[in-house]
Amino acid sequence: MSAVTCELCPRGCVIPEGGAGDCRIRVNLGGRLRATTYGRPSAVHIDPMEKKPLYHFLPGTPVFSIATAGCNLHCLNCQNWQLSQRGGEEMEQVYRLDPPELIRAAKAEGCRSIAYTYSDPVVFYEYVYDSAELARQEGLANCFVTAAYINQHPLRQLCRLLDAANADLKAFDDGFYRQVNGATLKPVLDALVTMREEGVWLEVTNLVIPTLNDDPAVIRRLARWVRAELGAQTPLHFSRFQPQYRMRNLPPTPVETLDRARREAQDAGLEHVYVGNVLGHAGNSTYCPRDGTLLIGRVGFMITDYALTADGRCPSCNERVPGVWRSADLSGDRR
Amino acid sequence: MHQLRHIHERELRFLGLVLITGLVIALQLVDSLRPLGLSGSGWRVIDRQAVERRIESGELSDREASWYHPLSNDEARAARAGSAP
Repeated sequence: MSAVTCELCPRGCVIPEGGAGDCRIRVNLGGRLRATTYGRPSAVHIDPMEKKPLYHFLPGTPVFSIATAGCNLHCLNCQNWQLSQRGGEEMEQVYRLDPPELIRAAKAEGCRSIAYTYSDPVVFYEYVYDSAELARQEGLANCFVTAAYINQHPLRQLCRLLDAANADLKAFDDGFYRQVNGATLKPVLDALVTMREEGVWLEVTNLVIPTLNDDPAVIRRLARWVRAELGAQTPLHFSRFQPQYRMRNLPPTPVETLDRARREAQDAGLEHVYVGNVLGHAGNSTYCPRDGTLLIGRVGFMITDYALTADGRCPSCNERVPGVWRSADLSGDRR
Repeated sequence: MHQLRHIHERELRFLGLVLITGLVIALQLVDSLRPLGLSGSGWRVIDRQAVERRIESGELSDREASWYHPLSNDEARAARAGSAP
């Protein structure tokens, strides 16, 4: 019998010869599991760091962003489903970009960091790992934008190479994860705690979907958990839902719902709570948690004001704002 | 009288057809609402020849993955008792 068991994510797919994992791209050929999209991204873009969103990590810098086909979640509201819900052999566009070429391309474009993003980089783990190792040697930072549905051992190993992560916490509700994402909550919570323990700069995003995860009590539980397990200084982004893919029956999230969620999180003690996908909302910007001074003004992905001091402090009260504000702030072997 | 009985049978057949159709729709709905994938659940049938062709042409990679192991006997028993597409 030449079936294999994949140990990368909590699904633990048992894959017979000639089959693929649930992610579609890890394929068993001849009893050996192949990472078929290694060095073969289907999306390559240069984005502002604010798009990830990472608001406390090298703000205003361009980040070389890549993704391959495949995903280990199957969110009914996926915004990248043409990429994530397909196998590599189904993609019309595949770039040949092995790790050395990727690093060369990022540097040639003047990027100081690489983001593994769009679908879920967990499923192209080997490509991320080798690229991140090389990026680190070349002085580039590594950003991981993920739903964090990954097992502990591979995550801990990868964290040594990661500088920043934005992790989706889709709801503080296991039933939601099962029904909407085809996953479970506990491994995600464990992964977030691990990233924090391993010293990765972490920001958390919660996409607020009307009627499904917008209950104030659920938002409150989520915010309290973030404060208790990740710390009050962890940025939390409440993002606006737009109807798409298999969830076109619900309206966009009302701005009042996002405002309410933001207040709940602030009341729970979180210092940096943002509202995303609402152009011009005051909650896009960063304020001093002590005296309320506007520190970084944003409209969409653009920075309109920047008042932080060079070492990341409020110019009015000298409060240190957590984050990685300059490449020099990357500590030790993360530099 | 005979004609009335005839209509009655036709109506019964029609009702049966409606019930069967409803049952099929209900089964489809139940199946589609089932949680999509949990531990040990997933593998997918793929177009293996398309994958191999793309690997040969260099559009996909033959790189061996990390984080896997050959199926153990215990896992094989569990897999037989459990899931498949």
